[in-house]
Amino acid sequence: MDVEVRFTLNDRPTTVTVKPQTLLVEVLRNHLGATGTKLGCGTGECGACTVLLDGRPVNSCLVLALRVRGREVTTIEGVSNGADLHPVQRAFLEHGAVQCGYCTPGMIMSAIALLNRNLHPSDEQIRTAMAGNLCRCTGYVKIVKAIKAAAEEMAGSGRPSTGAP
Amino acid sequence: MKKRGKGIACMVYPVGGTSYANPGSAFVKVNQDGTAVVLTGATDVGQGSTTVLAQIAAEELGIDYRAVTMICSDTERTPYDYGSVASRVTYIVGNAVKSAAGQAKRVLLEAAAEVLGVGHEGLETSDGWVRVKGFPERKMRVSEAAKRAIGVNGRPPTGSASFNPVTTLLDPETGHGKPYGSYVFATQVAEVEVDTETGEVRVLRIAAAHDCGKAINPMLAEGQVEGGICMGLGFALMEEMVLEQGRVKNDQFIDYMLPTVLDVPEIKVTIVEEREPTGPFGAKGIGEPSLLPTAPAILNAIYDAAGVRIRELPATPSKILAALKVGLARKDEG
Amino acid sequence: MTGFTVVGKRLPRYDGLLQVTGKATYGVDVSRPGMLHAKILRSPWPHAKVLRVDASAASRMPGVEAVVTAADVPRNRFGFTHLDQPVLADDKVRYRGDAMAAVAASTPDQAEEALQAIAVDYEPLPAVFDPLEAMKPEAPKLYGDSNVATRVTIQLGDLEAGWKEADEILEETFRTQMVEHCHLEPHAALAEVDERGVVTVYSSVQRPFLIASDLSSVLQVPMNRVRVVATAIGGGFGGKNELTMEPVACLLAMKTRKPVKVVYTREEEFQATTVRHPYILTYRSGLKKDGTIVARQVNIISDAGAYVSWGGWTLSKAAIHAAGPYNIPNIKIEGVLVYSNNSVGGAMRGFGVPQVAFAYECHTDTLAAAVGLDPVEFRLKNLLRDGGTMPTGQVLDRVTVIDTMRAAINAVDWKEVAGRP
Repeated sequence: MDVEVRFTLNDRPTTVTVKPQTLLVEVLRNHLGATGTKLGCGTGECGACTVLLDGRPVNSCLVLALRVRGREVTTIEGVSNGADLHPVQRAFLEHGAVQCGYCTPGMIMSAIALLNRNLHPSDEQIRTAMAGNLCRCTGYVKIVKAIKAAAEEMAGSGRPSTGAP
Repeated sequence: MKKRGKGIACMVYPVGGTSYANPGSAFVKVNQDGTAVVLTGATDVGQGSTTVLAQIAAEELGIDYRAVTMICSDTERTPYDYGSVASRVTYIVGNAVKSAAGQAKRVLLEAAAEVLGVGHEGLETSDGWVRVKGFPERKMRVSEAAKRAIGVNGRPPTGSASFNPVTTLLDPETGHGKPYGSYVFATQVAEVEVDTETGEVRVLRIAAAHDCGKAINPMLAEGQVEGGICMGLGFALMEEMVLEQGRVKNDQFIDYMLPTVLDVPEIKVTIVEEREPTGPFGAKGIGEPSLLPTAPAILNAIYDAAGVRIRELPATPSKILAALKVGLARKDEG
Repeated sequence: MTGFTVVGKRLPRYDGLLQVTGKATYGVDVSRPGMLHAKILRSPWPHAKVLRVDASAASRMPGVEAVVTAADVPRNRFGFTHLDQPVLADDKVRYRGDAMAAVAASTPDQAEEALQAIAVDYEPLPAVFDPLEAMKPEAPKLYGDSNVATRVTIQLGDLEAGWKEADEILEETFRTQMVEHCHLEPHAALAEVDERGVVTVYSSVQRPFLIASDLSSVLQVPMNRVRVVATAIGGGFGGKNELTMEPVACLLAMKTRKPVKVVYTREEEFQATTVRHPYILTYRSGLKKDGTIVARQVNIISDAGAYVSWGGWTLSKAAIHAAGPYNIPNIKIEGVLVYSNNSVGGAMRGFGVPQVAFAYECHTDTLAAAVGLDPVEFRLKNLLRDGGTMPTGQVLDRVTVIDTMRAAINAVDWKEVAGRP
């Protein structure tokens, strides 16, 4: 039997009617057409489907849609304001942290979650925070650099990050 | 005990497919306002070919990178390309794009020549301007030249070109021939730490020096090397599909180990730019060669550190421990 | 040429804005209103005769709109050097990734359920999983009377004379493993027939023009009636180089006149797509006392898996580079590609050369140690220089391998090794 799920997606009240076993990633991609969130493995191992649930990073392939009732979900579609990119997005672009780009939305969401907690992360803290996001293209070097650069920019400007709870 | 060591590995690798024709092609058109469109069958799989080809077109036409629109990889609407394989796109399709853009530029220069009062061969383009060589004060905008070419001369600036490297087939008996048009070279040095109690290997540092010809986009070239090293590290230490009666036992990322950000060492990339005369602006390629020296450099470093020569990949902790045990046993006998 | 204005600049990716905002459309992201979802049935056996495929019950399942089997494929073989691979298995299955049938249904779950209703009768055959076993006369054969798919030989100089000249001869055997590409985006395609009757496939592929010509062949339609558009591609590394689901997506779309989408699961990526060939590599080199390499013999055994795919060309490229970037006057390289009932070896970044590079560079250090030379000194003595010759007889110029070695050792201070006396 289908159930109704109301939640906030990227600051907008959203309602979907789905089967109880439906996963959040399916709701986002198939029901709402928000295909920026990627599916890489379906077992929570690759992090491509990372979204923020009340500001914390989760693998949306492991989260039942029912669990997001009344909560806030932020996806890659919700982090920039039109052409005004989030500093993490801009840093990924400028530092060459993107190759095929498939892991990128998940990477950016994990990075934003980290920077929402800590605007002065060490390389080690960045690495720990990103350990659940696989990338097969970049070797991660420029991803770490980009996150570091975004942190510096955000700390310097005092700009509040998007996607904070 | 933790033991450190260094290892080195070199390589030679070709640019382009083996022996058989593997052409690329491109169409280029310049609009009335001096912006341009490149149509090519080349396919960006993440390596950055679309960016590099846009840079080549912009450089040849003398316009801004952002003034170039790329239309790629549609078998009905773009001209043939052999594919994003064999580290060939920058070299082969880059040559095709450069030639096609050169043809369109010729039309622009001929239109500009009438205004600037010199032959087209006395003109050059850059930054959106057509200038008299050696007398840059005399100039006109590329957009004005394009408008004139189309609206006055009735000759829209277009170009179409293809490129195929010079190769021969191999003799079936001796294997002799010229299978490739160009080669690249590289060396990597790895520094590792081997835990002799657990057999675990930590790669501490990798220095990589790669000749890719002229790097059209050094940031993307570095990215290829860093990514290749990461894949080479997986090949060296952890990745292996395990089959049982033909069935893949580890068919999930839970059991098939890929390098994560925690496994990747400090990487220092040096690009050695030996210009290739047959390449577009001297460029060759870099996609595949980036991973070739990584595994042997790591394995040689393990040998340097712990004195064990692992000859079967991946060099897992259990293989290293087993090899260390054999070494100890030999010492005891001795 | 100097004074570049665009070339040599660290410009951001052309498509980067789409990528960092999640707007790039990958194969998995292509969708159409009313599209069907297809799933593919795989062989449960590594080697078996196919006696009967009956999809009649499946085609009556809820939501199912079409089923295709081998009988629906106009020309059921593809391949580059060997036309040996079926789109859907007909006479035999040769590995566990072989596709038997495909179902298009309104939802992926309905398609998956319908697969269970396809009845296939198999007669299991003895199978072989080791290339060394597969070369033995008594081994089960995948085709005809030999599992040897192809051989390659490259010779330079006079190997026998080289052995005689050598003061010392060393031999080592190396093995490399089977590796999966693991591009994070799985294979994905959507096929639709447009108002002109042209079948268009949007697919995450590295070689759209090869896919188009192979589709034209297996579907038996002219090339101007089949269009392949490569989507944004979530990594390839050689793994998206050949036909996978495109033929069944097209056949199902042509049958139903509805758009049909297929996305592989991660399990299918591992079980039913190509892999890096495992190699067994034997290196034998002859050395002078001063460390000069005078002779090298290399033997490569490549496990093709069930179909040749790119295996012949991969082996050829491996063989051409098997001697390494070294100036060796007397060389013989022999390679053999052997069928087995394992996963199919295809193209993967480096195309056979990572396997040989691992072996030749480990071997180089063994040789250096044998004559008591530092690995860098030993290489300096033997590395190719301008005018050096590849085993193919090709003479190289602008040989920069020593330049790259100097750059790399300068970057790490080669002599200073922590923990070394």
